[in-house]
Amino acid sequence: MTPSQAAVEKVTNEPSQNGSASTYVLIAPAVVWMTLFLVVPMAMIIYVSFWTQTTFKIEPTLTLDSWQTFFASDTYINSLWTTVRIWLIVLVTTFIIGYPTALFVGLFVKNKTLQTALLVLCVIPFWTSFLIRVLAWRPMLGKEGAINIILQKAGIIHQPIEALLFTDLSVVIGMTQIYVVFMVGPIAFMLGRIDPNIIEAARDLGADFWRILRKIILPLSLPGVVVGAIFVSVMVLGEFATSAALSGRKVNLLGNIIVTEVGSLKWALASVVGVILTVIMGLVIAGLLRVVDLKKEL
Amino acid sequence: MESRILKPILAVYVALFLLFLYGPFIVLGILSFQQGPEGGPQFPIIEWSVFWYKHILGLAPPSRVSPLPIGISLFRSVTLAGMTMVTSTVLGVMSAQAFRRNFRGKTAAFYLIVLGMIVPGILVGLGSALVATTTGIERHWWSTAFATHVVYTLPFAFLVMLAIFNRFDASVEEASWSLGVSPITTFRKVTFPLIFPGVLSAMLFAFTLSYDEFARTLFSSGREQTLPLAIYATFTVEIHPNVFAFGVLTTLFSFALLTVYAILMSLSIRRAKRAAIQEAIE
Repeated sequence: MTPSQAAVEKVTNEPSQNGSASTYVLIAPAVVWMTLFLVVPMAMIIYVSFWTQTTFKIEPTLTLDSWQTFFASDTYINSLWTTVRIWLIVLVTTFIIGYPTALFVGLFVKNKTLQTALLVLCVIPFWTSFLIRVLAWRPMLGKEGAINIILQKAGIIHQPIEALLFTDLSVVIGMTQIYVVFMVGPIAFMLGRIDPNIIEAARDLGADFWRILRKIILPLSLPGVVVGAIFVSVMVLGEFATSAALSGRKVNLLGNIIVTEVGSLKWALASVVGVILTVIMGLVIAGLLRVVDLKKEL
Repeated sequence: MESRILKPILAVYVALFLLFLYGPFIVLGILSFQQGPEGGPQFPIIEWSVFWYKHILGLAPPSRVSPLPIGISLFRSVTLAGMTMVTSTVLGVMSAQAFRRNFRGKTAAFYLIVLGMIVPGILVGLGSALVATTTGIERHWWSTAFATHVVYTLPFAFLVMLAIFNRFDASVEEASWSLGVSPITTFRKVTFPLIFPGVLSAMLFAFTLSYDEFARTLFSSGREQTLPLAIYATFTVEIHPNVFAFGVLTTLFSFALLTVYAILMSLSIRRAKRAAIQEAIE
């Protein structure tokens, strides 16, 4: 057999026999890694939520105690509602603040270079540490903060607004600034794919801008809104740093509860909160995916 | 037409939006030049100074403000990010290479990998801390935290490589095989140079995500703090402008990293172009 014949045989062999074996060898490490360090830990959270918690230890005797503790306590139930409330508010604010930006970048800017430049400008803040960006709101919002100083200098207010920092509002402002870009990106992407002829046609038929926005632009950008909403939801629901830094411990999200419970070695209770968080997140994602069929749209 | 009115309005809006994105950081940058050590993290600026930058670098005289544990935690963070980058890029390239063929459980494998970027860090951290405590494994930044970091960055590396392989012309590989070159040499000499820009992007993603990651690290790293954990620790105590100065420095570091990436990227593109031209001449 000449070398070239051997090579031909090798090529024809590749997909059928060697191919499948080598494919599994290639994918196995990633699958094993994700199973060991993601699936097993997640299963462990569910399992441990039914364990017996003593003062500093957990024992694998199954019980519903921690679940009862959670649902019997006002603190925990309140944090559940706070999480849902903050999540909904941030979802709305990121959409309202992000959509016009996406509209401008995706639809009104025709120049590709300018479009890219604007998107890059939106992404640059992500090159700063997330925690630093959260912390940067403190000198902005405080009683002697930049916003109060500017408003006072401009003569709009005479007394500094104290409600800006260490409230629900500061947490919402902080989260909106950090996560709004995740809303802008997908929406701008979908808007950029709208065929300008459709809008032109609607305009020729006498539709005004609001009608075009309502009947054409919004529906066509819906998949982008859903993707953005999934990004924002997943991140806001798992949050705890922004509320820790900007609420002065007044806003306790489920994430903050987990941090506190782990800090006092209450592993079982932390796991209960973890399971509840996972369930909420699953429901939210499933709900959002029902709005549009992403596989078809993207 | 309305768009003639609407466009300028939206342009002004976008300018305000960018101000909203950058405003806090500008204020933070200004306040990092506050006088020290008495000057607090607020206006007015008592006197412009670089005291807090000296404080960060350990050049300031000892004062009531304790220095941030930058040196050692920076070392840990960069090492961890480097380890995570290499591991997740290698695994990402391997998995994406596997995805070029059909195999049983392909969809399940896809969702399993992508799940890593969807599950919130606090849950992954909690889960791995539970596994570690119940099995008696000690938690360290280089062991348990490293494992959770790769869980997070691998999906990004994988998706980047998947996108690259989607646009990849497989006929050059087939040509190489048919000339009798072994698959491994083909990968090294033909495939890898072609996908190298994608590999660079995957590395960049993995490094920056890991370098800045802290929700996953919080529970899984044990006592030794990484850089984000050191910053997080300042949340609970009174903050001083040294944190702001530090924020400015890390941002500069990130931009330096981005510049290195841009240079490597343009070099590899130029090399690819030159190779193509040479081929055309021959």
